[in-house]
Amino acid sequence: MLLISILCVPFVVGLLCLFARPHALMEALNIAGFASVLILGVKLFKTVLTNNGNAVTQWNEFLRADALSAWMVLLIAIVSLATSLYAVRYFRRDLANGTVTERGFREYYVLTPLFATGMLLVVLANNLGVMWIAVEATALSSVLLVALYNRKTSLEAAWKYVMLGGVGLVLALFGTIFTYAAAIGKTGGEMPSFNWSRLLAMAPQLDHHLITLAFIFVLVGYGTKAGLAPMHTWLPDAHSEAPSPTSAMLSGVSLKIAIYALVRFHILVTACLHSSFSSNLLIGFGLFSMLLAGPFILVQQNLKRMLAYSSLEHVGLIFVAVGMNAPLTVFGALLHMGYHALTKPVLFFAAGNIQQRFHTLDFQRIGSGLVRTMPVTALLLGLATVAVSGLPPFGLFVSELTVLAGSFTSNYAWASVVILISLIVVFCGVLNKMAGLLLGPSNGAHARETISLSNIAAMSLPLGTLLVFTVWLPDCLRQLMELAGNIIRGLP
Amino acid sequence: MNPPTSESAAHLITLLASIMLVLQLLLVVQRMLVANIRVFATQSLLLAAIAAVVGYAYHAPHVYVVAVLTLAGKVIFLPWWLERLVRQIKIEQEIDAFVNVPAAMLICGAQTVLAYIVARPITSLERLGNNTLAVAIALMLIGFFLMINRRKAITQVLALLTMENGVMLAAIALTTYGMPLVVEIGIFFDVVVAVMVLGILVFRIRETFASMDVSKLNELKW
Repeated sequence: MLLISILCVPFVVGLLCLFARPHALMEALNIAGFASVLILGVKLFKTVLTNNGNAVTQWNEFLRADALSAWMVLLIAIVSLATSLYAVRYFRRDLANGTVTERGFREYYVLTPLFATGMLLVVLANNLGVMWIAVEATALSSVLLVALYNRKTSLEAAWKYVMLGGVGLVLALFGTIFTYAAAIGKTGGEMPSFNWSRLLAMAPQLDHHLITLAFIFVLVGYGTKAGLAPMHTWLPDAHSEAPSPTSAMLSGVSLKIAIYALVRFHILVTACLHSSFSSNLLIGFGLFSMLLAGPFILVQQNLKRMLAYSSLEHVGLIFVAVGMNAPLTVFGALLHMGYHALTKPVLFFAAGNIQQRFHTLDFQRIGSGLVRTMPVTALLLGLATVAVSGLPPFGLFVSELTVLAGSFTSNYAWASVVILISLIVVFCGVLNKMAGLLLGPSNGAHARETISLSNIAAMSLPLGTLLVFTVWLPDCLRQLMELAGNIIRGLP
Repeated sequence: MNPPTSESAAHLITLLASIMLVLQLLLVVQRMLVANIRVFATQSLLLAAIAAVVGYAYHAPHVYVVAVLTLAGKVIFLPWWLERLVRQIKIEQEIDAFVNVPAAMLICGAQTVLAYIVARPITSLERLGNNTLAVAIALMLIGFFLMINRRKAITQVLALLTMENGVMLAAIALTTYGMPLVVEIGIFFDVVVAVMVLGILVFRIRETFASMDVSKLNELKW
């Protein structure tokens, strides 16, 4: 029942919001829904641990949650909850300004829970075909959110997102079908199982040639969705043009869902070929993404676009770390996913506050000295910036260090040099831009910001959680991540 | 191995698949939007026919479901819906493509050859017809080219749909019995919803830009 209820809660919330009249009810439904998903997620995580890492299955293995899925469910739930808290004041303001129509308001509260349902289905589905369907569902539910403001630029961003994503997903479907075809005739029956767990169990028997081809298609397909360079071009557009809560969801978890889908195939391919074929591809594309992100951050003039390129860099790092396949790097990758999911939304929330106040995201037009005009937002933005550029005392420092430590001792020591260089470039770029924005003289007679409690809570909760889990990583979480790491590395 | 009755079925499938490829080339040269939509509908009809032949020749009743879904969705509903959209936004003809027709034909020819080369090492895995997999890959490549070559938003949607036709053809060619029913139905609903979402976007683009020329969507750069 646990897995089904995790999927049903946000779905029902989405449907209810379709009919709910009062605004407060829609907001409350969203918050309550995501809070219960978080509670159920914690319950799932405990169940997986008490099972000694054995997967929880339901409906004849149609739904399946192992440690990796449980970890992703937690991330989705936390980011969605923080987003739904932040969205309350954000959209009330937008509605008052007339930036968003009544219809757009409802669209947001209906589509966001459906978006979350899609993501949860991706991580809970055992059937690879159903996983593809769910990824496509997340793309479809988020594209109208990207176009919510109905501006010229947001329509352009949405069109690029849906066309590039569409082509990518067609390729991913092709790869998924190849994977299925690779299993035909190997089990005796006419219809082999499409379940990931079954395919993994018979991995060495799968047709090697087809699996190799399948992985290339899936890499390009889901890689597009994960924002892997050079298929990333939709990413900065969609992230900057979407309303801030949606940007937070896209960057915080949606990218990681695509990473998750790709990692499932990576596990399968490695188990089948017994070679580092897929690892090498992941490392190559990952390093390329990391190297590409740096220069774009240095020349970026738009706050949210810069944040999007920073996501590109983090996605690249996660891919490289997974590809290296060493115990330490894989653990670091999982840790990095979690810490990044806690940090990025805060940055987008702060960017949302700035955008609502200055009606622009252009660094030049916002000017400098934000600490004077928007002290609370600036403080939280500053802390999140410190975190995202990988400075202590925040978690991303720990996870990046873990990945680096692992990579220096792995077979890919040369790659750690590339990682270091790109981390430094991004570090300088982000800190430079943000220092210019936050510090210095303020450009005039702006009155002090008025900021609501829910806004502060939405931003400080993820940051607080990040800090707590940096200094004190509970044993159960560590255990969960080690189990998930073992799954990624193909150990029993 | 294939049962003996499937000999003629294999020929029929090869024939139907090659007509699908011809229709794809027709899409590349055709400029009237409504005609394009009907060519796509015919292509989907052929895909449904292939599924039906498979279901009949191999006694696989659940492939009939695929045929019926394709018929209802991609032959009847989506073309009707897209034609309604064309009428609503009152744009009937595609402006000049980026590449002229003879050059486009040459490119498509090269893509078809490429598809045959790519599919060669795995043709032994085909379970149906001859070269169906090569045709499927060719459909995808030409669909890709169609998408780049055209400027109208609706033509790009059609290009995406023909690519999807190619994938479904590959699915039938590679697996014979198709995929588990839940996957087929899921893909079907995703495609239908995708086109409706795309339709909403096309409509909004047309209202905001007073055109649906996607080359005008060029404000966002790096």
